[in-house]
Amino acid sequence: MRGRLRKAAAHPSYERWALAFGPVRPRVAVYTGEGASHSWIWFCDLLERLRLFDIGLITDADILSGALRDFDVLLIGGGDTYAMAGSMGESGAREIEAFVRGGGQYHGSCAGAYLVLSEVDLEPFTPFSLIEGDMLNVMSEPPAPLCLEHKYLAPYGSDWVFHPVYGEVELSAGPAARGLDEFETNGPIAAPLFGGPVLSVDDESCVLADYAGATDRAAFLWPRYEAERLIKGKQAFAMRRLGEGTASASGPHLEHPLFPESNALLAGVLVKHWQNRSHSEGVSSALAATKTQVKGSDPKTCIREIKRQVSNARIVGFGLEKTPVTWKIGVKVWEPEKIRMFLDVAWDRLPYLEARAGSGLLPAAGLEELASGYAGVTGLAKTLRIEVEAGRDSQAEAQSLLTRLKELTASFLALYFELRLQ
Amino acid sequence: MDSMYYGDTLIVDLDAGTTEEVDFVEADEAGPGLAAGLALYEKYKDADPIIFGSGLFTGTPVPAACLGFVLGKSPVTDELAVAPLNLFAGSEMKLSGFSMVVVKGTSPKPAYLWLHDGVADVHDASAFAGMDTWDTTDAIRREMGESMIQVISIGPAGEAGSKLAAFSINYWGSGDTAAIGALMGSRNLKAVALRGLGMLDADDPAEFYTRSLELFASARKDSGFAALCTALGTGDLDKWLEPIAHRARACFACPSACFPFVKYNEAPTVMESSDVEEPGMLLTSPAAALWLMDGGWEPEAASRALEAMAREGLDMVRGARELAGMPLTDPGEIASAVKALEGSAEAAWPSGEPTPAGLFGAWTPPLADADAWKLANMAGYVLGVCPTYLMLSEVDLEALAGLCQPAAGVEMEIGSLADLFG
Repeated sequence: MRGRLRKAAAHPSYERWALAFGPVRPRVAVYTGEGASHSWIWFCDLLERLRLFDIGLITDADILSGALRDFDVLLIGGGDTYAMAGSMGESGAREIEAFVRGGGQYHGSCAGAYLVLSEVDLEPFTPFSLIEGDMLNVMSEPPAPLCLEHKYLAPYGSDWVFHPVYGEVELSAGPAARGLDEFETNGPIAAPLFGGPVLSVDDESCVLADYAGATDRAAFLWPRYEAERLIKGKQAFAMRRLGEGTASASGPHLEHPLFPESNALLAGVLVKHWQNRSHSEGVSSALAATKTQVKGSDPKTCIREIKRQVSNARIVGFGLEKTPVTWKIGVKVWEPEKIRMFLDVAWDRLPYLEARAGSGLLPAAGLEELASGYAGVTGLAKTLRIEVEAGRDSQAEAQSLLTRLKELTASFLALYFELRLQ
Repeated sequence: MDSMYYGDTLIVDLDAGTTEEVDFVEADEAGPGLAAGLALYEKYKDADPIIFGSGLFTGTPVPAACLGFVLGKSPVTDELAVAPLNLFAGSEMKLSGFSMVVVKGTSPKPAYLWLHDGVADVHDASAFAGMDTWDTTDAIRREMGESMIQVISIGPAGEAGSKLAAFSINYWGSGDTAAIGALMGSRNLKAVALRGLGMLDADDPAEFYTRSLELFASARKDSGFAALCTALGTGDLDKWLEPIAHRARACFACPSACFPFVKYNEAPTVMESSDVEEPGMLLTSPAAALWLMDGGWEPEAASRALEAMAREGLDMVRGARELAGMPLTDPGEIASAVKALEGSAEAAWPSGEPTPAGLFGAWTPPLADADAWKLANMAGYVLGVCPTYLMLSEVDLEALAGLCQPAAGVEMEIGSLADLFG
C-alpha cells in the first residue's frame, strides 16, 4: 500500500496543477469537526501534492464562529452526515451558503456531498442546500446485501440509504467537463466509492462526471449486473455556481491519494474556480497573520518523543487490525485500520520535521503538546486493545481514541503546514 | 549500503542508559550481515560488546531469509561466537529501524531494549527480574500492547550467569549454544524487544523481487524434521513425535515448516483455541529432541523437559544431552532435573561429523564436511538465510549470491566469502 502511495504521489499531473494555481494560492479550510471520519486526511494529502500549504483544519465550532471568512475553499469529506449537519445546524448552513455566495468554493465528497443536496430534505439536513438535486441510492426496503453488511445501510427517515457497490468505480465525462482535459487524456477515470451518493441533479449541464461502471476492485453488495445497472450512466460529480462562488459534490472520494487521475479532476475544478475568481496579488494568509517564528527550546527532543509515541501507537494499532472488531460511532462504522491511517499522517511527515529540528522555526510549545498528546493516544490504544482482547465491549474506548486521534492529527497537520508555508 | 538495510547503527551504552546512532558504514567496508557485525565488534572491541544484526536478505522474500544473529564473546570458550536469530526475530531485527545494534557496558539495574521503527528505548526491567522467558515475553508484549513483538530474553539461568544459559526467542528457546544468554545476564540486559512497520528498499526492486519469488517457487519445501533426520541418518523424530504433534511452523520466508508444535496439555487433535492457556511447545531444537529420543525419553516427557529449559533460559542442546541418559516421566521430577542441570555436556549433535569449534556453534547440523558446513554458515550469516536450509535444499549458492546485485547493487562471489571473515 505504501509503495503504491509513493508511486501515485509521483504522478506528473500534480506538478501541472500545482503550477496552475499561480503565485497567489488559495487558503483552504478542511472540515475535521463533528461527524468527520478519517477521509479529510486525504484532502490534506492532495493539497500537499498540489503545494497548497495554507490550510486550516476547522471544526463545526469554527464554522459557527465565522472562521470561513478567512478562507477561499471549504472541503468536507466523508463521515456521519447526521452528526455534521446536527452539530452545525441552521447557523452553520447559513455560514457555508454565505461563504459560497460571497465567492468561496465548496467541495463535498461522500458525506460532504449528501450534506448539500437540496432534496436531502430531512432534519437536520434541510438548511444545507447548495446543489439542486437528489440522491438515487435510497429506498424503503433494500434487498439483503451479498457482503459487507456493516457498510450497506444508513437510515434516512423511514427509508434507507444503501450502497450496492463499495470500492473502485469508473467515471466518464459529463456535460460540464468541457475544458477539463483529464478525460480526454485518460479515458474513464478510476475513483473510490465508499458509501457516497449516486447523484441526480436537476440541471444536467452541471454534471462533471457520470458513473461509467465498477471495476474488479469493487465489492458488489448486490449481484454485479444489478449493482452496475443502478449506477451506470448516473451522475457522480456535479458543480454549480451560486452567487459569486461555486459548490461541487462527488459521490466518490476524488481526493483519495491512490487515485491521481481523480485527484487531477478535482484539482482542475479547484484551479478553474481560483483562476476565475478575482483575487489581488499579495492576499495574506489567514494563518500567516498569527504566525510567529517561535524559537523552540528543544524541538529535537520533542520530535523524538512524538516519533517514539507515534511508533508505539502504530504498533498497537497494527496489532488491533488482526482482530475482527468494528465500532459504530453515530451511523459510521469504524475499523481498526483507521487508527493507523491517522497515525501515518504524522509518521510520514515526521522526517520533514526532523530535518528542520535545528532551524529555530519549530514551535516548541506546539511540539510538546503533540508529544504529550501522542503519549496519551498510545495509552488509549493499549487500553482499547486490552478490552478487545478480553472480548469486552470496547465502543467507549474506541470512540475516545478515534476522537482524540482526529484532534491530534489536525493539530499535527496545522503545525506541519505552517512550517511548509514558511 | 543504501538498500536492504533500514536505519543507522545503534550504540547502546548500558552504563549510562543512553543510546546513540552512528552511520552504518561497515556493510560497505567489510561486507553485509555477520561480516559487518564482526567489523563492529572489532571497532568497539575495548567495550567487549554484544552485537545484534541481520543478513543482507533477512526480512525479504528470498527463501529462508529469516536469519539474524547475536555476536559476542562466549562465556564458555572466551572466544567470539555467533548465535542465530531465527523464527521471526531476525526479520524483526531487520525492520527495527536499526541496521546493527552494539550493546556496551553493564546496566546498574535490569534493563531491556525496546527497538521500534528507528526509536531505541532503554527500559527498566527490574519488575521482570527473576521471571522466566515465557513470563518476560508476556510482560513485555503486555507493556507495549502488541503480541507480534519479538522478544529475545534471558531467564533465571542467564541472570545467574550460568554457563548453560541461552537466550530465548519469545517462548521457544534458541540456537544459542555459546551462552550468549549468560553474557546478556552479565550486562543486566534482560531482553531485547523488536518491532518495526517499515519497508526495505532494493536497488532494483522489480528484478530483486521477481528473482526472489522465482527462487522461492522452485525451492524445496519440507514439513517437520523428516528431511533433516534422513540426511543425518538418525531415527525418525517426526514418527516419535507423532502422538503429540499438532502442526508444523516455518520461520519467516522459509518454504519449509520444520518446527513441530506439540501439545501435551490438551489433545493434539484440538484445532481451535481452547481455555488451556499453554497447550504445548514449539520444538525448535532438533538436536535436543534427538538426544532425548535416543536416550529413551517419551515424546511428552521430552517436550516438558524442553519447555522447562526454554522457560529457564537454558541451552536445550547441552541440557538435553546431559539429561539423555536418564529418561523421566513425572513432570515434577523433570522440572527438578532441569533445575539441577550442571552444564557438563558439550554442544553437539548425536550423529554426523562433530561440528568444528569456532565462531559458528553446533546449531547448524553436520550435514556436510567441515568445509561445506563452514561455507553454509558463512553464506547464511552474511546473506541472512538459514544455513540448515541451504544445506538441506542444496540451493544454488551462486544463484543466491547473484541476488546481491539487484538487492543492494553489490557483487558477491561465494568463492570469496571466506575473505569477509579475515
